[in-house]
Amino acid sequence: MKITLKIWRQDSPKSKGKLETFHLDGVEDDMSFLEMLDMLNEQLATEGKRTVEFDHDCREGICGQCSLVINGQAHGHESHYTTCQTHMRSFKDGQTIFIEPFRAKAFPVIRDLKVDRSSMDRIIQAGGYISAFTGMAPEANSIPIHHNISESAFDSAACIGCGACIATCKNSSAALFMSAKVAHLAKLPQGQVERKERIAWMVNAHDEEGFGSCTHTGACAMVCPQEVELLDIARMNYEYNRALCSTN
Amino acid sequence: MAFIQGLFKTSVARKNIMAVTGLFTAFFLVIHLVGNLILILPDSFFPIEFWDNVASQHDMYNAYSHFLVHFWPISVVAWILYAGLAIHIIDALLITLTNWKAKGEKYVKSDNSTSTWYSRNMGILGIIIGIFIVVHMGQFWLKYKVLGTEHDLYDLVVGTFKQTWVVVFYEIGIIALGFHLAHGITSAHRSLGIHPKSIMNVIKYIGLCFAVVMAVLYGIIPLIIYFNN
Ligand code: HEM
Ligand code: FES
Repeated sequence: MKITLKIWRQDSPKSKGKLETFHLDGVEDDMSFLEMLDMLNEQLATEGKRTVEFDHDCREGICGQCSLVINGQAHGHESHYTTCQTHMRSFKDGQTIFIEPFRAKAFPVIRDLKVDRSSMDRIIQAGGYISAFTGMAPEANSIPIHHNISESAFDSAACIGCGACIATCKNSSAALFMSAKVAHLAKLPQGQVERKERIAWMVNAHDEEGFGSCTHTGACAMVCPQEVELLDIARMNYEYNRALCSTN
Repeated sequence: MAFIQGLFKTSVARKNIMAVTGLFTAFFLVIHLVGNLILILPDSFFPIEFWDNVASQHDMYNAYSHFLVHFWPISVVAWILYAGLAIHIIDALLITLTNWKAKGEKYVKSDNSTSTWYSRNMGILGIIIGIFIVVHMGQFWLKYKVLGTEHDLYDLVVGTFKQTWVVVFYEIGIIALGFHLAHGITSAHRSLGIHPKSIMNVIKYIGLCFAVVMAVLYGIIPLIIYFNN
């Protein structure tokens, strides 16, 4: 198939970027979206031009490194897919595809489609951990836990930290990302020790990084590759108010 | 100190305030509606033998408005309501400014199919409602309660709704309110931290029903008065 690409090109964080148009012939249905970009880059390299930079790592939908806003949607139009799991068969022959970096003040562009997402790491560093003895992994059954609770905690823990929720949010809020970690740890016995402090630390870090305030449009949960639920945000707000009300 | 900051300053706290003031105003809407439905009830609804000094819709409405002005606890609640609305608006402004600052460069190609238009435009709906509230209070509250230039509220209301532009203006304001509530009621409960799925599924439904019922019942009052006169 033949496609036209309009790709965001930007030399450095400070420079001004713009869309550049490329025509690509011989794209195959079963190429992944990133393989299609590899094909473009091979052509550019042969022509001696600067290749298009984009983030990726595992290419199997688990690491959260791939990003891209494709035709206006984070990770493309197929819901709950990562960009690396999106395939060219879901596009039409002759289609024009816009590819832009994830946008948010807290996601400065490094080059082209690559953005700096370390602001998300700093939210996790602020409180998204538990106190635990290091050493051997403990015996799995030493802490009894109801199956439903562990499943529910795992649904939240499944967040791969890609940042699509933030890129999609009209307020550039990291609420869904942050709440996935808060909910994950609040549901489990191991998370109880820092439960009260965690929420304050993380919310403060979130605000300091310059993310916006959630208005529950729900767009984040619609694009989340891991289907983290919107209600995790409500759970996070509950944890916040619970921490405010507790006296000790 | 940390408690006070936690109550007001963070992105989560601000949404709490939005939710509490919004829900309080929504509660007021119910009371306000019940009073004003008198305007469209038939005279036969007010039999002389049941109500003191009330023989018609006209008497009943004026008795109700007299009660509102002269029963002091109502005034207290009213001032809480004005304060609540003011805080709601100021907080909306603060949240909106922070959210604008948080935004990166605009997408050249955007696709909004992942959310409803009214959930994305709460601020614009709010501005329409705000303009509505100012005009609305100027028409009735100011003339009847503050300046005291009008004494028969029933005549004032019916007279006002004889003008076509007023009715159109009210319908626009009320429709905006309906959409604001359609997102706002559910959103407020999420902001306050209500998270069990079973409860939120019901609240989502109730929020939507509440919005529709409010918009329809408020909406028909100006229309019925307009077409009856
Ligand atoms: C003066 C006009 C108003 C303005 C400027 C305004 C503005 C806003 C804004 C910007 C939001 C935040 C958007 C969001 O959370 O999704 C909001 C939320 C809300 N508004 Fe208003 N509004 C106004 C009037 C009202 C009225 C009259 C009511 C009630 C009847 C109301 C009820 C609510 C509720 C319940 C929320 C949801 C709070 C939450 O999400 O936590 N608002 N408003
Ligand atoms: S590259 Fe790892 S999730 Fe896409």
